[in-house]
Amino acid sequence: MKSKRFEVLSNKPVNKDGFVKEWPEVGLIAMNSPYDPKPSIKIVNGLVTELDGKCREDFDMIDQFIADYAIDLANAEKVMAMDSKQIAKMCVDINVPRAELVKLTTAMTPAKVVEVIGEMNVLEMMMTLTKMRARKTPSNQCHVTNLRDNPVQIAADAAEAALRGFDEQETTVGIVRYAPFNALSLLVGAQVGRPGILTQCAVEEATELILGMRGFTAYAETVSVYGTEQVFIDGDDTPWSKAFLASAYASRGLKMRYTSGTGSEVLMGNAEKRSMLYLEARCIYITKGAGVQGLQNGSISCIGVPGAVPSGIRAVLGENCITTMLDLEVASGNDQTFSHSDMRRTARTLMQMIPGTDFIFSGYSATPNYDNMFAGSNFDAEDFDDYNVLQRDLKVDGGLKPVREEEVVKVRNKAAKVIQGVFKALDLPEITEAEVEAATYAHGSKDMPDRNVVEDLKAAEAMMARGVTGVDIVKAVKKAGYDDIAESLLGMMKLRVSGDHLHTSAIIDSNFHVISAVNDTNDYMGPGTGYQMSEERWNEVKSIPNAIDASDFE
Amino acid sequence: MVDNAVLEKMIKEVMQAMATQGSKPAAAGGKMTRADYPLSETKADQIKTPTGKALSDITLDNILAGNVTADDVKIAPETLEYQAQIAESVGRDAFARNLRRAAELIAVPDDRILEIYNALRPYRSTKAELLAIADELEHKYGCKMNSKHVREAADVYERRGRLKE
Repeated sequence: MKSKRFEVLSNKPVNKDGFVKEWPEVGLIAMNSPYDPKPSIKIVNGLVTELDGKCREDFDMIDQFIADYAIDLANAEKVMAMDSKQIAKMCVDINVPRAELVKLTTAMTPAKVVEVIGEMNVLEMMMTLTKMRARKTPSNQCHVTNLRDNPVQIAADAAEAALRGFDEQETTVGIVRYAPFNALSLLVGAQVGRPGILTQCAVEEATELILGMRGFTAYAETVSVYGTEQVFIDGDDTPWSKAFLASAYASRGLKMRYTSGTGSEVLMGNAEKRSMLYLEARCIYITKGAGVQGLQNGSISCIGVPGAVPSGIRAVLGENCITTMLDLEVASGNDQTFSHSDMRRTARTLMQMIPGTDFIFSGYSATPNYDNMFAGSNFDAEDFDDYNVLQRDLKVDGGLKPVREEEVVKVRNKAAKVIQGVFKALDLPEITEAEVEAATYAHGSKDMPDRNVVEDLKAAEAMMARGVTGVDIVKAVKKAGYDDIAESLLGMMKLRVSGDHLHTSAIIDSNFHVISAVNDTNDYMGPGTGYQMSEERWNEVKSIPNAIDASDFE
Repeated sequence: MVDNAVLEKMIKEVMQAMATQGSKPAAAGGKMTRADYPLSETKADQIKTPTGKALSDITLDNILAGNVTADDVKIAPETLEYQAQIAESVGRDAFARNLRRAAELIAVPDDRILEIYNALRPYRSTKAELLAIADELEHKYGCKMNSKHVREAADVYERRGRLKE
C-alpha cells in the first residue's frame, strides 16, 4: 500500500525542487566547512605576509589582491585578536553604531568575517543588514526584457516599472546584436515613467562598456568576480583587469558595481574544497580592494546551488551582510528563479525585504517570467499585487507602490509613442501605430506583433557604426516633440559631468537630486531610528485599489 | 576574548572622528568633504567639463544649437579628484583610489581603454607587451597609478603563469 498523504505531499511544488546533501570535499557546503581556512593575519612593515593561514609566497592572485588592497591594515591585528562571537554580538547590538562597526568589519580577513557571520542565525543577520546597509532609504531594481527583444515593449514596460517604484532598471538581450536597441528603449522608456531612473544593459564586459561610453546606459553591473583564481581565469578576467575596468567606468562618469554570488565556483568546478560563503567573501573583498562602490550578490545566477544545500539560503543572506559590513552598496539578489514553491520563494525574499537593502531585488522581473531573459526572477510582474500587499501587511517599505490601471495605460502609451518618435528621428525601422497600441495594453511579448528582426539588427548595427550618442538621443526625443523627456535625458547626461552618482549606493530622485550613502547615511540604532516610512509614503503603500472603504456602506 | 580596553579606545577614536568630520564645507584651497556633497548642488559653479564648459551651459538649447556636443558631457579630472576627497572624508579610501585612477584615464581614448582592458585579460599579453602598455600609460597619458597597476599585473601574471606563451 502507498500512503495517500505521501502521495499528496510528493505532488507539492516544493518536491519539484532539487536538494542535495553536503559534500565539503567539492565545496558543496554553504558555510562553516571543515576545510575553510582559519582566520589569521601577519603584517611585517606594512606588508601582509600571512593571510588566513597562507604565507605570502604561496598567495594566489586573489590572496595577493585582497592582502594588498582590501583590508584596513592599521586596525587589522587588533580586530583579528577579537573574539568573533563578540563582533557578531556587536553587529546585532543597537547601541553600537554602524560607523564604529565598519571600522572593525573593514579590518578583518575573509575567513574572519565568515566566522563572524557563522555565529549568527538568520534573524541576527537580518538585524545586521538593517543596521549595516550603507544607504538609509531602501530601494529596488528590476529586469526589463522580453523574448523577442521588442523595443516598443521594453519602453512601455520600463515606464510602468518606473511608475511602480523601481529606481534602477536592467535589461539584457535574447539576440546579442539587439543590445543597442534594448539599451536605447530602456533609457527612454524609464524616463517617461519617472525622471531620474538609472538604467543598464547587461552584456559582455567590453560591449557593456561601449554602450556606457556612448551614453546608452547610466550604470553597469554585469562585471563578474569569482572566489578562486582558476574560476576567475575561466571567467576570462583577473582582479587586475577587472579593477582597470572599474576605473574605466568611473573615468566616463558611469556608476558601476561588481557581481558575484555563492555557488559560482562549485558550479564552475573549482571550489578548492572551500565553502560557498568563504569563496563569496573573497569576491566581496576583491570588490572592496578594487575600489568599486558596490556589489550585486545573493548567489544571483547560481541560486540553485546554495538553494539545494542545508543552510544555503542563510548563507545567501550572509553574503549580503558581509557586503554591507565592508561598507559597500548591496544589490541583494532575489534574482534568478530558484524554487517551484511560492512559500520558499517568499521566505527567501523576506530575508532582504524586511531588513531593507540598497536594492532588495537586483532584478525583480517587471515582465511576466516567460519574458525574463535572465532565466527568470524570484518575483515577476504577476506578483506585483502580492508584493504590494506584503508591504501593506507588514508596513515594510519594499520600494514599490500600488498603481491604478488608467495611469499605467497612460505611461505605457506615452513611452511607446516617444520611442516611436525616437526611432523615426534616428532613421531606425518604423514603429507602427499597431505596435504602440499593443505595447500600451500588453502583458508580455505574446501580446506584441512581430517585428522585422533582420531589419532591426541591421539598423542597430548601423546606428552604432555612425556614432550615435546620448546627445543624439536627446535631440531625437526633442525632435519627436517630447520636451519633458528630452529634459530628463539631459538631466541623466549631466550626472556624468558631476559624478555625484558614482558614490556608494547612489539613486536619483525625480528632481535629479542624488541620494547616496554620503548624504543619506544609515544611522539605525534601534526603534524610532534609521529609515522611517513617511506618512506620505505609508499612505501610498497602504492604498491598494481593492481595499474596501467602510464608509461606502453607510 | 575581546580586549575591552582596546575596544573602548577604538570606539572613542571613531566617535571623535565622526564628530570632527564633514561638518564644514571645504574652505578655499581645502579639501572637499561630505558637506560639499552633492557637488552638482553645492559646487555647481566649480564643476567644468573637460572642454571648459560650465554645468549650466549644458542645456537643451545649446545642444540643439550645436554648442554642446557629446565631448562636453564628460567628467573632468578635477571633478573626480573632488569626489575622491569626499569619499575619503567618509572613510572610503579604496573607492577614492579608484576615482583617482579614473581621473587619469580620462585622457585615454575610448578605443585604447578597451584594448588595454582586453590586454589585461589572462593569457592575452606577454610580459613585455604589458610593460609596454605601462610605459605608454605613464609617458603618453600621464597615468602614473594605472601604469603601476599594469606593471604589478605583469609581475603577478608571470608568477602565476597567466601570460601569453
